[in-house]
Amino acid sequence: MCQSKELQFEKPSFRKRLKGMLGVDFYRLFHTPMFYIFVAIAAIIPAMILTMMGSGDSGTQMYTNTWQIIAAEQPLYAVSDMGEYANMNTVYIFGGIMVSIFIGHDYRSGYVKQLFTTHAKKRDYMMSKTIVCAFTMACMCLSYLAASIVAGFIAGTPFSVKVGSLLIAIVSKMILSLGWASLYTFLNVILRRYFGVAIAASFAIGTGLPLLAVGMIIGDSAGSYLNVFLYGASVYACLSSTFMTLIVCLAVSVAWALIYNILGSLILSKSDVY
Amino acid sequence: MNAIEIRNLSKTFGSKQAVSGLNMTVPSGAIYGFIGENGSGKSTTEKALCGLLPFNSGSIKIYGKDYLDEDVRSSVGVLIESPGCFQNYSVWNNMKLQAANLGIANADAEIRKVLKLVRMEGAASNKFKNCSLGMKQRIGIAMALLGSPKLLVLDEPINGLDADGMRIMREVLTNLAENHGVTVLISSHILGELGKIATHYGIIRRGRMIKEMTAAELEDSCRTYVGLKTREMERAKALLACKYTRVEEENDEIRVYDAANPEEIVCCLYENGILVREIQTRKIGLEEYYMDLMKETEGK
Repeated sequence: MCQSKELQFEKPSFRKRLKGMLGVDFYRLFHTPMFYIFVAIAAIIPAMILTMMGSGDSGTQMYTNTWQIIAAEQPLYAVSDMGEYANMNTVYIFGGIMVSIFIGHDYRSGYVKQLFTTHAKKRDYMMSKTIVCAFTMACMCLSYLAASIVAGFIAGTPFSVKVGSLLIAIVSKMILSLGWASLYTFLNVILRRYFGVAIAASFAIGTGLPLLAVGMIIGDSAGSYLNVFLYGASVYACLSSTFMTLIVCLAVSVAWALIYNILGSLILSKSDVY
Repeated sequence: MNAIEIRNLSKTFGSKQAVSGLNMTVPSGAIYGFIGENGSGKSTTEKALCGLLPFNSGSIKIYGKDYLDEDVRSSVGVLIESPGCFQNYSVWNNMKLQAANLGIANADAEIRKVLKLVRMEGAASNKFKNCSLGMKQRIGIAMALLGSPKLLVLDEPINGLDADGMRIMREVLTNLAENHGVTVLISSHILGELGKIATHYGIIRRGRMIKEMTAAELEDSCRTYVGLKTREMERAKALLACKYTRVEEENDEIRVYDAANPEEIVCCLYENGILVREIQTRKIGLEEYYMDLMKETEGK
């Protein structure tokens, strides 16, 4: 019965584990209609807004410049109407819903149960989901950008901008996808048993409602303190961005990604998986 | 070396004590039948063993190492209740995803091998959602076999299998244990099937291991009895109860336990004008042993 020779075990490296998990997650991403639907939604939003609100006489015209649909002229921490809010930041709202569906499916199918019986670590899972969801949101940003340009041409809104600031704003918002994706991954790991609540929570947090309220109380002048949060940094990435904006967004995104990944891994390791 | 060593494992869900100070030892190469009533703590123990449930106290070692070590985990194949597969993907793609997670280099050949082993090679292109329950269980076994695990943990794997499916499962598990040195921990309610393959048993009740033994020890402790049928069952039973210590009526027959000689019983009944229609000496099986044990431990 007992085997005479010593059993040998192979220890899979972190790289091997993450590579395998990323492979699975990217495969799933590209083989589900959800990815393409959300990338399409990201294109439809600016196209609809710009063609409806970007044309007309100057009195009713909300956008005097096509790039305002990408980012505000100045950081607006407390918006007075949704028009001011409706820029590339909306990608983060829909991105949140996408993450909820993606992670919710992991749990409903039993994939997570199967996964965690192997050598997969909880932190690998958090990391893989964050990377894949950040990639999707970055793709949504690009789709949003492309649709904005096309819609701008159709609506006939001007394209005047400081190219450097615009590029920094776009790249910053794409970089912030990492932080947002980690936030949503964390949120959905906590609310894994309540799919509907997870989607509602992702939507509420994606709109930046909590920080929007703070912004309204402390005002735009003191709003720069909010840059340490994901929503604040997302607002900070505007059409007057400088190189400092890029640095701030990168630091904020990476820092929050680390925080949410560590917290998520801790919660997962302390809780039941089923 | 033991494949699994669980010591003083305790797990609570809120105020409910699911497992309480459980000890379990599974030797390498054994097919360990894990038996217990519904809610006795079998699945909780197996989930804890597989890293799905953090427990309150105790320790779990697999091949002498901590059960969460990633090198150990890559050597454990698991099927808990049902396989975690994506319904809209084909069987093959689900297997590919699991192989990718396990980092298997030659995935295609490995998948073909395990599908052939569970006789599912013809269903590789089927969508998982279109597979029958029995097919899904076999796919689950195939997934657990990916990466040539040294330990298989199977929770109710034969549920939903037809007679042929059960036979295949028996052959596969016996082959793995005997020819490949794979240790199998298997829980099931179908004790008749389990009795055909298990080399060791663990019986759990109310979260505690009440008995661990080998198949040989079970064989020794299984009492023989004489089973008989007459036209006057009640009178025969009363008569035999005066002479023998344990006489029971089960499954339309009278069972006389620890009777040395069936001829003696026939004579005794004949002398009292009772004719015996059928008589046979038998040994109680796993199921009867288990039921007896449950009766003995009732209220303890």
